[in-house]
Amino acid sequence: MRNDRAILQISDLSKHFGGLKAVERVSFDLLEGEILGLLGPNGAGKTTCFNMISGIYKPTSGSILFHKKRTDGLSPHQMARMGIGRTFQIVRPFATMTVLENIIISLGLQNYQTIGRSSKKWFTPTTRQKAMEILEQVSLCGLAFKKAGILPLGDLRRLEIGRALALKPELLLLDESFSGLRHEKISEMEKLILSLVKKGISVLLIEHNMKVAMKLCHRVVVLDHGRKLAEGTPEDIASDTRVIEAYLGKGGSAYYATSSE
Amino acid sequence: MSSYVITVSIFIVIQAIVAYGLNIIVGYAGQISLGHAAFFGIGAYSAALLSTRAGMVFWVAAPLVMLITGGIGLILGLPSLRVRADFLAITTIGINFIVEALFLYVPFFGGALGIGGIPRVRFMGLRLFGTSYLGLCLLCLGAVILVSWWFTKCWAGLACMALGEDETAASSMGISPVRFKLLAFVIGTAMAGLGGALYAHQMRFIAPSDFGFPVSVMILSLIVLGGMGTLWGPLIGAIILGALPEIFRPFTEYRMLLYGVILLIMIRFQPSGLLGEDSIIRKILKKYWTGGNDEK
Amino acid sequence: MYLFIEQSLNGLAVGSIYALITLGLALVYGILGVLHVAHAGIYTVGAYIGYGVYACTGSLVMAILVGMVACSCLGVLIERFIYFPLLKFPPYVPLISSIALFMGMEEFCRLVAGPSVRTFSLELPFPELKFLDIVISPTLTGIFAISATIFLVLWFITTKTELGLAMRATSQDMDIASSVGIDGHRIIDIIFILGSAIAAVAGILVGIYYNEVYPAMGTVPAYKSLALIVVGGLGSVQGAVIAALLLGIAETLLIGYANIPLPRDALAFIAMIAVLLWRPQGLFGKGA
Repeated sequence: MRNDRAILQISDLSKHFGGLKAVERVSFDLLEGEILGLLGPNGAGKTTCFNMISGIYKPTSGSILFHKKRTDGLSPHQMARMGIGRTFQIVRPFATMTVLENIIISLGLQNYQTIGRSSKKWFTPTTRQKAMEILEQVSLCGLAFKKAGILPLGDLRRLEIGRALALKPELLLLDESFSGLRHEKISEMEKLILSLVKKGISVLLIEHNMKVAMKLCHRVVVLDHGRKLAEGTPEDIASDTRVIEAYLGKGGSAYYATSSE
Repeated sequence: MSSYVITVSIFIVIQAIVAYGLNIIVGYAGQISLGHAAFFGIGAYSAALLSTRAGMVFWVAAPLVMLITGGIGLILGLPSLRVRADFLAITTIGINFIVEALFLYVPFFGGALGIGGIPRVRFMGLRLFGTSYLGLCLLCLGAVILVSWWFTKCWAGLACMALGEDETAASSMGISPVRFKLLAFVIGTAMAGLGGALYAHQMRFIAPSDFGFPVSVMILSLIVLGGMGTLWGPLIGAIILGALPEIFRPFTEYRMLLYGVILLIMIRFQPSGLLGEDSIIRKILKKYWTGGNDEK
Repeated sequence: MYLFIEQSLNGLAVGSIYALITLGLALVYGILGVLHVAHAGIYTVGAYIGYGVYACTGSLVMAILVGMVACSCLGVLIERFIYFPLLKFPPYVPLISSIALFMGMEEFCRLVAGPSVRTFSLELPFPELKFLDIVISPTLTGIFAISATIFLVLWFITTKTELGLAMRATSQDMDIASSVGIDGHRIIDIIFILGSAIAAVAGILVGIYYNEVYPAMGTVPAYKSLALIVVGGLGSVQGAVIAALLLGIAETLLIGYANIPLPRDALAFIAMIAVLLWRPQGLFGKGA
């Protein structure tokens, strides 16, 4: 039976690119207030899954239910409006704009719906205040007026989380938010994510680094070659022989890797 | 002012109006268009037809012209904006060639001879020409700059700028790419239409070749020169490119060559334009005028 | 019926020349992602050099060889000094530089050689072919033979040789290609050399076929070939060639038979927009 507390329900989701089966009949649920980790070696189909959930790709078959409503086939901006915020594995800041403007763009979500509202001025004290509050959450206040393009990767990853938060999401999709970060930055990021969950946001995260994922996630889904290999608590997964094989068989030391890609 | 200077100024102002339209599409929304002269032409032809065939006065016709041009912009933009960036450049070139061919080959538009006998604009019984027409053009330019300025300040403009920088990121932040690209396209083409109407009433005779592809290139190079996506770039570009032929008058023979070479050097070494990010002028301005607003 | 066949053959000749011009454009787009409008400038320069050398030496072979070598150098110079440094900017930047360059080249030709039309007035030294009542003039035979040879050689290079493999790898992803030991810069040079040399041949053939060489001869091909690479599927060389051949035939037949109120030069763009609406990736483009 499917759980009633599920905010996101993925059933038999497939995505084929020509002959390549990037994702094949994957199903899982994400419960409210949960951190669910989506794990797997390179090319396992994690980012493809993300892109289907956030509306960038249309699934070949299967369904996605967000709050019990079918959302597969909707476009990214509609998904954002429904309350899904996301980050990107390869960061995509608006490089020539300031950090503050990057956040403000997300704050406009409600203003992009009608012509009337979108012809209103965006740089008002209220929006600025709201944007600064969000920057505070992701500790980027000091950089508010810097161009986003010159920020180091760690700050950009937090900026992307900030942009997603400005949408007031119920579900946050984090695509490898830890990759490329130094050790101390990783623990900062962990704290940030835990604080978001406390505020009632559910999190689906893709992680390459098993150590981080095992520590942070309530439950874990492991993908390999586009299929679901295993699902369970981090403890179950860590002792699952198939998972260990998938990792050690492919990348060798991925299990112990502290940074990836 | 001599009437010659006034005539040159009128053309510079009209070019600036058209360029502000393109700046909204290319500079702010990041949608490359190489067919802007087509919309300039559609504006000029509809103004000419409305005044000569339907006998409409300019003040009624002008808003209608903008509506028509913006509407055609919407219809042509709908399929064009679905294609990838490089396709868009070529598609808009295609639109320009086809529109010019239609003007040339459909008898309704007067063929190669174009449309003549376009009346002067009248205001309270006075015929506007020379200085007074320059005044009208400047008024329109002011309105266009005001709209451009407002565009950078309103949510729709912000959405367009976000789309121009990174469409995937922008759309995952709730911005509908189709809606806002089209909005930019409609505003930009309507401005081109206004420029066209002013052009028709100034020339009083228009022909298809006035709106060919080279004109599109000229308008685009003008905003590249001035600084794409800046508020004053199109005006600076229009003034410089409008004055160049006069400066180069002694070398008429080499005019086009110099024009090509200047554009090439400019874009090769200063692709963001005279007023763009990291441009020499902007750096100098910042140095001597710190604390001054740098408008975006 | 014979008229129809002769018209089709003329169309095929026009199409072959379009294909020769479009080839370079498709190759360059495939590897750099640049819309190389100035390619038509190279074609014009090639026609003029060919004309000049022929006028001086009276040897067509010399004219073609010198034209090819000179245009190859010109192509590589453009790539090294203009396109390559601009690749990091948005695509409109190299595009505008290319248009500016094209204008400059046209003007340069006009200033050096004068605005008047130069005539080649010679037939290509090929045999006249006859089937039943259909006569294929020596020039037509020559155009078919030369373009067919070029297509075959190019097809052989791109599909059967290591160079071709390296070219395809580089156009897929330059960084990965260079990580497996392919010298990406050299491949790009080779593509510009090939494309520009073929453009020179095309320029000389057009000069002979229409018996005219003039400064603005590149204007229409410059933009028509852009439409052709879209119809063929951006970056698909075979697609561009097939599209060019079809367009040549369609233009000639439509002008000969149907009385359409549009100039033949708009046909390419109408076809392009129709293709974009129906199949946005182009006739022979891959995937969505």
